[in-house]
Amino acid sequence: MRYFLLGGLLTLLLSACSTSPVTQGLAPITTRWARDPETLDPLAVPNQSAIDATNLLHLALLQIDYQRNEYAPALAQALPQAHLVGDSLTILDYQLREAATWDDGHPVLATDVDFTLKLMQCPGLPNENNRAQFGFIRQVRLDPANPRRFTLVCRSQGPETITASGDFSVLPEASLDPAHTLRRLPLAALQDWPAARPPAPAVQALVQRYQRANLARQPNNLPGCGAYRLTTWDTNRQLRFRRKAHWWADKLRPAPFVLQARPQELVFAVLPDDAAAALALRRHDIDVYPQVPARIFKQLQASPAAQRDFSFYTASSYDILSVGFNTRRAALRDKLTRQALSRLFDPASLLLATQLGQGSRTVGLLPPGSPFYNDSLPLPAYAPTQAATLLRQAGWQRAADGHWRQPGTAAPLALAMRYRAEETTFATVGLQFQAAAAQLGIPVTLLPAENSVNTSQLEAGNFDLYIRLVKGSPFGVNFATLLHSQAIGGGNITGFGRPDTDRLLVAAATEGSPRRKRLLLRRLQVMLREEMPILPLFFMPYRLAASRQLRHVVASGLKPGYAIMSLGWPAADSPSTSKP
Amino acid sequence: MAGWLLARLGRAMVAAWAIASLVFISSRLLPGGPEQALLADASDYSRPTTTVRSGASQQAAQQAVRERLGLGLPVFYFTRSAQPAQAWHWHGTANQYHRWALGLLRGNLGYSYRDGQPVVVLLGQALTYTLPLALTAAALGGALALGLGLYLARAPGGWVRQAALALLSALQVTPLFLLALALLLALANPDFLDLLPAAGQAPPGATGGQLVGYWLARSALPLLGLVLSLLPVLTLPLVAALRHEAQADYATTARAKGLSAAWVLRRHALPNALLPLLTTLTDLLPTLLAGTVVVEVLFALPGSGRLLAEAAAAHDYPVVVAGVLFTAAARLLGLLLADVLYFVVDPRLRPAA
Repeated sequence: MRYFLLGGLLTLLLSACSTSPVTQGLAPITTRWARDPETLDPLAVPNQSAIDATNLLHLALLQIDYQRNEYAPALAQALPQAHLVGDSLTILDYQLREAATWDDGHPVLATDVDFTLKLMQCPGLPNENNRAQFGFIRQVRLDPANPRRFTLVCRSQGPETITASGDFSVLPEASLDPAHTLRRLPLAALQDWPAARPPAPAVQALVQRYQRANLARQPNNLPGCGAYRLTTWDTNRQLRFRRKAHWWADKLRPAPFVLQARPQELVFAVLPDDAAAALALRRHDIDVYPQVPARIFKQLQASPAAQRDFSFYTASSYDILSVGFNTRRAALRDKLTRQALSRLFDPASLLLATQLGQGSRTVGLLPPGSPFYNDSLPLPAYAPTQAATLLRQAGWQRAADGHWRQPGTAAPLALAMRYRAEETTFATVGLQFQAAAAQLGIPVTLLPAENSVNTSQLEAGNFDLYIRLVKGSPFGVNFATLLHSQAIGGGNITGFGRPDTDRLLVAAATEGSPRRKRLLLRRLQVMLREEMPILPLFFMPYRLAASRQLRHVVASGLKPGYAIMSLGWPAADSPSTSKP
Repeated sequence: MAGWLLARLGRAMVAAWAIASLVFISSRLLPGGPEQALLADASDYSRPTTTVRSGASQQAAQQAVRERLGLGLPVFYFTRSAQPAQAWHWHGTANQYHRWALGLLRGNLGYSYRDGQPVVVLLGQALTYTLPLALTAAALGGALALGLGLYLARAPGGWVRQAALALLSALQVTPLFLLALALLLALANPDFLDLLPAAGQAPPGATGGQLVGYWLARSALPLLGLVLSLLPVLTLPLVAALRHEAQADYATTARAKGLSAAWVLRRHALPNALLPLLTTLTDLLPTLLAGTVVVEVLFALPGSGRLLAEAAAAHDYPVVVAGVLFTAAARLLGLLLADVLYFVVDPRLRPAA
């Protein structure tokens, strides 16, 4: 009897574990997400999972082409025509695609773009990031002769104005504001609305309608123009998206890369633990594992069974592991001291130890493949002897007790280094620096802390050095967010900034001529090396493991590290093949 | 007895309220806040940017988030200003605590800062995973501890008993994350034993029976991890208590009457040795409900432990405070349950007695 029971239970378990045979072309592609998107409100998008999901449901004027790592027209027919006006304005002429429609069949029009930009400025909605990001678009001029043409008046100049102007999900006006009440309010009036003044009645009513729609959890309450619809969302477990049977972009010939959507169904399995995700990949519970940690990637590559089943991809990302110096601290005010300390980091060994040597070392904030990269500068390297020499040049003297002191001061050179606690790469960098500094007689206290505590301490300037990941991109070179004196208290944590360096940063960001831009950026990299407010150690790699059967895998150095909509099973070409 | 029960329940509710109030107020005094998690990193230039986000604009954005979430109001009825004068200010009912308390009295635990969903719904969804897991683990652990305790207490010596005791001691010093990871690598690993699923999804369109089978298989590993972590905590004190009772005079008398050692242990020593076990078991219930986070993360289960851990990291105060309230209530009810079980096992302890 008990063998019967045991056998029954095993049968039940096995039947639950096995999958029914399905045609491979229609089989879902399952991808690992480390976290739940938490909200699918197109205005909020607080994390990478939410960004990825929103890109399936909605479209922007311009979207990232992961094949070329550049922005390409999506809802827009082409990249906008730009005209500079004076020394601070840019006029951008856009034309929307004729074929673009919402789920309900209505065309995507210029009024939808105007509405979306105004929605970003309505108080009471989760649009605080958008308000700051798109506040430079001051006006939308509609073309009375063509409902798909419009002009954006932007309060900025420079190449990034074009890409930044089209990087937001366009939302349908007809669904959220059927009476067109927002059309009467100019965009600039909403942007300049005093905080103390109550919002206009039209805005209040719109905000209430938006909140009632509950788009955070029910994104299907709003028609989208993206290729997919959400079918299930089991919080913290999985999300399932199904491709629309008749998507407007299917009519485009040839279909641009950003508007190709091969998978019929996409499943995102939320697996927070890396080891569990690796086992899920090995068991074929997931087909794509992006952002694989170095150790697990190495183990997978070493396994013959995994090598047989999966393909492995590596791409150098635009995320820079960097060290920052608090230039407001008396001990670190002198650039020679900062230069000396930077010689105590060993980027080559750290890259090998933490990233298996993948990724790329750099002289500055630009990746080595960039046309603006200053290859005349030597790569930062571990040089403790040089560090001691530079410290002496900065006026430090080594006392009999082995510590370094400035003449006339009792306090020795001692440093506190902050970083996010759960990052092993950060901890490795901290320990390497601590050991190197100890050999030179500089005590270093490591202060790992939980993310929000760490951020608060950095914003309050309560540190000597920090380790963090600076997220970059190939789209622009606006380093003002990191280094401009106006950004102190914002993105500039080091407190660095002088009028001459500010001018150089702005000039490099706004220069339109590639030749002059190259010169300015090369100068900027030299300045960064000399002043040393930030020491970029290396660009992190993105590692991707995907089922060997998947076709059209495009690995990229841009998050999420691959193009999800380009993936496909081979049976998409030959429907008779079945998934093993 | 009923009056005693009502008084204990009332005291438990007041204590739970006090704990939640303390967490509510102290959470608002922590460095950082939900705006940090909700706002983009100001130094991030992965998206094309045209403007420099100044410290002032960053603060304005943070303030806008705080206003939207209702955090612009004073925390309590009165506050002390940070000015040099350090005067006390009375804010009346226009404060965060008053709104929260009023909502709670109406059964509204608030809304998550991250997705705007009612906290009751989020907690309810998470508990549908955690409650069955935790209660089954507690029941299985308790039953196994009883059996194993009676077996191990019967006579010292014998290599099986020694090995079992050594194994229990080893399990007791093994952290749960290590134990769960070892189970995962041993029993859900294609390179070793690929017996149980750890993360797979139920087949689309699965029937009721298939879903039951899927969840039985899916919960086997987390359940095993929890039971193995519970077992030494429950068994080892029970074995010690049973052996102590077995030395008592009444046990010797029973043995002298000709009763077997097993009978004496089960019928005479166990009721007395059971009392500490009840306390341990009811103490573990709230820990199991809120503290299964390790198992939930490793086995990708969207339970309450994971919900609370993620809410704490994101400064999602309404979820955190509701979680604390729930855990405190579970803890206090656990204590109450322990008292009631004491009365059942030993009538001499009843209030009337």
